[in-house]
Amino acid sequence: MIKNYIKIAWRNLIKDKLNTALNVIGLSVAFAVAILLGMAAMYQLSYDGFHENGDSIYKIVKTQQTPKGPQAGTVHPAPFARTLKTQVPGVKRITRYLQDGTLAILGDKEMDMNIIWVDKDFFSMFSLPIISGDQNEPLSDVSSIVLTEKTAVSLFGTTAIVGESFNLLVEGKEKPFTVTAIAKDNVPESNLEFQMAAQFESHHSYLKNKDNWDANYHDVYVELEDGVTASSFKKNSQSYIDSHYEKAISELKRDGASADVNGRYMNLDMIPLTDVHFLSLKNGFVEVSRSLPYLILGVAFLILFIACVNYVNMSIARSAKRLKEIGIRKTLGAQKKQLFFQFWSESLFVFLVSICIGVVLSFAFVDEFKTTFNTNVNVDMLLKPIFLLVLLGVVFLITIFVGGYPALLMSRLGTIQSLKGKLESTGSNRVRDLLMVFQFGIAILLITGTLVLWGQIDYMRNIDLGYDKEQVISFPLNGKRNSNDVVDLLRDELKGNPNIISISGADNNLGLGRDGSRSTSKIGFEFEGRAVTTNFLVVDHEFVQTLGIDLVRGRNFESASDSLGVVINEAMAKELGVEDPLLAQLELDDGKYYPVLGVVKDYNFNDLDRAIEPITFYMTREWGISYAYAKVGPNNMAASFEILESTWKKLEPNAEFLGSFLDENVDRTFNREKTTAKMISSGSILAIILSCMGLFAMSLLIVSQRTKEIGIRKVVGASVASITYILTKDFLKLVLVAFLIASPIAWWVMREWLQNYTYRIDLSIWFFVGAGTIAVIIAMLTIGSRTIRAARANPVKSLRTE
Amino acid sequence: MLLQLRNIFKWVQQGGQRIFLLKDINLEVQEGEFISIMGPSGSGKSTLLNVIGMLDTFDEGEYDFLSESVHTLKEKYRSNLYKEYIGFVFQSYHLLDDLTVEENLEMPLLYKKIKSSERKALVADMLDRFNIVGKKDLFPTQLSGGQQQLVGVARALIGKPKLILADEPTGNLNSQQSEEIMQLFKKLNEEEGVTIIQVTHSEKNAEYGSRIINLLDGRKI
Repeated sequence: MIKNYIKIAWRNLIKDKLNTALNVIGLSVAFAVAILLGMAAMYQLSYDGFHENGDSIYKIVKTQQTPKGPQAGTVHPAPFARTLKTQVPGVKRITRYLQDGTLAILGDKEMDMNIIWVDKDFFSMFSLPIISGDQNEPLSDVSSIVLTEKTAVSLFGTTAIVGESFNLLVEGKEKPFTVTAIAKDNVPESNLEFQMAAQFESHHSYLKNKDNWDANYHDVYVELEDGVTASSFKKNSQSYIDSHYEKAISELKRDGASADVNGRYMNLDMIPLTDVHFLSLKNGFVEVSRSLPYLILGVAFLILFIACVNYVNMSIARSAKRLKEIGIRKTLGAQKKQLFFQFWSESLFVFLVSICIGVVLSFAFVDEFKTTFNTNVNVDMLLKPIFLLVLLGVVFLITIFVGGYPALLMSRLGTIQSLKGKLESTGSNRVRDLLMVFQFGIAILLITGTLVLWGQIDYMRNIDLGYDKEQVISFPLNGKRNSNDVVDLLRDELKGNPNIISISGADNNLGLGRDGSRSTSKIGFEFEGRAVTTNFLVVDHEFVQTLGIDLVRGRNFESASDSLGVVINEAMAKELGVEDPLLAQLELDDGKYYPVLGVVKDYNFNDLDRAIEPITFYMTREWGISYAYAKVGPNNMAASFEILESTWKKLEPNAEFLGSFLDENVDRTFNREKTTAKMISSGSILAIILSCMGLFAMSLLIVSQRTKEIGIRKVVGASVASITYILTKDFLKLVLVAFLIASPIAWWVMREWLQNYTYRIDLSIWFFVGAGTIAVIIAMLTIGSRTIRAARANPVKSLRTE
Repeated sequence: MLLQLRNIFKWVQQGGQRIFLLKDINLEVQEGEFISIMGPSGSGKSTLLNVIGMLDTFDEGEYDFLSESVHTLKEKYRSNLYKEYIGFVFQSYHLLDDLTVEENLEMPLLYKKIKSSERKALVADMLDRFNIVGKKDLFPTQLSGGQQQLVGVARALIGKPKLILADEPTGNLNSQQSEEIMQLFKKLNEEEGVTIIQVTHSEKNAEYGSRIINLLDGRKI
């Protein structure tokens, strides 16, 4: 019996090659894309899930109620972790965590390294296996250091280096460290990335901050004892917070902050380790949002859904051709159950083939997928039991429903009707219409999403940021020399070059540079009896001119003696709230007052999802700078870039030149948006293609079913145009209904998404009209050729076939 | 007695009115009979045949087949009953175009869950008996109408039914082919005692039968 089923299934599939091909191609592509997207989403969701103690490890966030609302921060002062462990019950292990860049020096070799400064418990808390060296407490000494395998190989050329020493550049001086252990390389789904790990106490700022409760500069991870929940720990920590932050809390009260619902001004929040990757502290609130991976999963399901709808629609439409077979089989004694299994197994066959092709396709394209979408998925993930289970589950459900529904419809047909070849099909047509509306609705939704996303990215790319991003190159000062000296040297070297207009430096980059590092420095101080917070930027001479920031009042830094004054932006002037900001004196250090020399126009030093915050420039050689900025002439900027690079190489032969134009840096800050946009636009292109494949197949079948009608109409005198209209009308109606349903949803979703951005585009109606028009035009083109051909056919011919 | 219909009514509802397809049909069929049902188009011939063949339901009345009361049976048992005892022959042959002659013949046996070896033997027998061994690997579309109908009859016979229902079996055939098929029916009826009920338009074909039932507007006359 099975053999007979397979035989007839095979012959049926072969007979209708075009239809079968459309089905198999559509399903395979959808499966492949769903697998890839599924892997990308699972990869995101699996972040930090590999730590054995992960369930009891938390990142500590401190939330305080300021007069402007809540303010959450992940950074803590140096004494915090130590005292928390001894004074609040329930802490099993705790570690401070400070990520930093450093220069490793071994003989002539200089390498930029990503280092973490952590406490002793770090390697026992987290499942970051030590493969050689001290397994238990690798960071027991201030000069101990742990390297990953890769780091060891790149620095020493081998991993057998336990006990060897090398130097790190700490505050301009070389300081020796001894390798105590080699750790396994970082796994990609880890947030605790590092190349080296050293004891927190050996960080250069530790001595200065050891007992300072005001300098918040590192993260803290805590592992709670068994049986201690995050909420009970949070409660237990309240009196600890009240006593250690007494002064800060009383200042908050004084400045008019209102307490939270529990009547408190400062709280600890415990963020589970697996949530850390999804943590954002937007607008001062702790927010854990997995919306991106779920969005990706959503797109994967939508695409699968579209392909499945195609399959259901085509099977139902095609069943008309198999009515006779159903009838005959029934008269020969086939029961409903047997017919159901026959048709269902045919679907199963198609699905299995498609899945196999889909898996092969996803394997074949995984590398391109990784580079295009900046994701670290690998095919090993496919073999993870959870992924396999989900995949099998989805496939099972699809075969049950997608294969089962048409099979059920066919097996339920009456014997006589099917023998006569008549389908009482009003019901199934309604299902078909509904499915097609769904399908096109999804396509329109995705097209709208794509248009809006690209619109927003384009807007962000072209917005006036308040500084010159086209002609300014920034690069990290990652060499051995003192950073201020290097900038001076650069300035001297390039003085005569007409294409290098000016050179300056600052301790922070604009946008995201090629070194991939970003930081924020903030400082709080008392001004006229209230606390004021500002971003803080150490700059070099000519910073304002180099970046082309407009000066609105007062003057710029002019000479070295101006290091006692500050330049602020308009937002800061507003924050100070005085009539003439040029008269203000800021107490940035205890007892030291800095006059405001000038006010610059607001410029976007943060990402565009945030409003411009107050910032204060401070010109001193004491604290060092980290980035150089060079303004180049508008002509032949590539050549200027090379001159800069070669000059840098001359000054710092061992350091890598990581320069890039600021517009590239800014572009890099919306990599996430670009990746999302790429994913959604590829998703929508695919959705449209798949929908059109379905539409095409449907139009073929429907035209063939209506051959007689077309013939009769033509004989009676209908024109080609009117017949084409009749045939297209029904489909276009569905697309229009889909448009009407999808547009409000798209509008709502995109409006919500745009709320994330302080600088955003208006949701103009044209996005929706555009998406709808694209859908209609594509649908017309898809069905057009076949319908016109059918409409032009000789009616005598089409009538004779009846 | 093979089957008995008592006061069978069948109707469709149209605009609040009952249109009768069958009206008060009473019929007794003994084993070994050869009955022809005749009547003009729309008189209910095919409907009656379908009711007898249990492919179609009726709205009122009683139907016993081999002392089973069909009107009380569930569909599943009904299909078991007819696949066991009834073979169908259709005007347009109704062979499956995707299967070869041999596979078409085999199909009823599959639904009767007959073992593979036995199936092979039965099919070979049938091919032999109808002289179509040479055509066993051809597809129906490669055969002439007469040959297709021959396969149709062979398929109806392969399950060794007690009753063959033929709905205008010669309707699509030329006179010579018709003649052959009718002769075959006659032979089956006389030599093997198979009961046959056929619907036909042709007086000549009706003559082959032992009894003629005339229908008009769903009523026996």
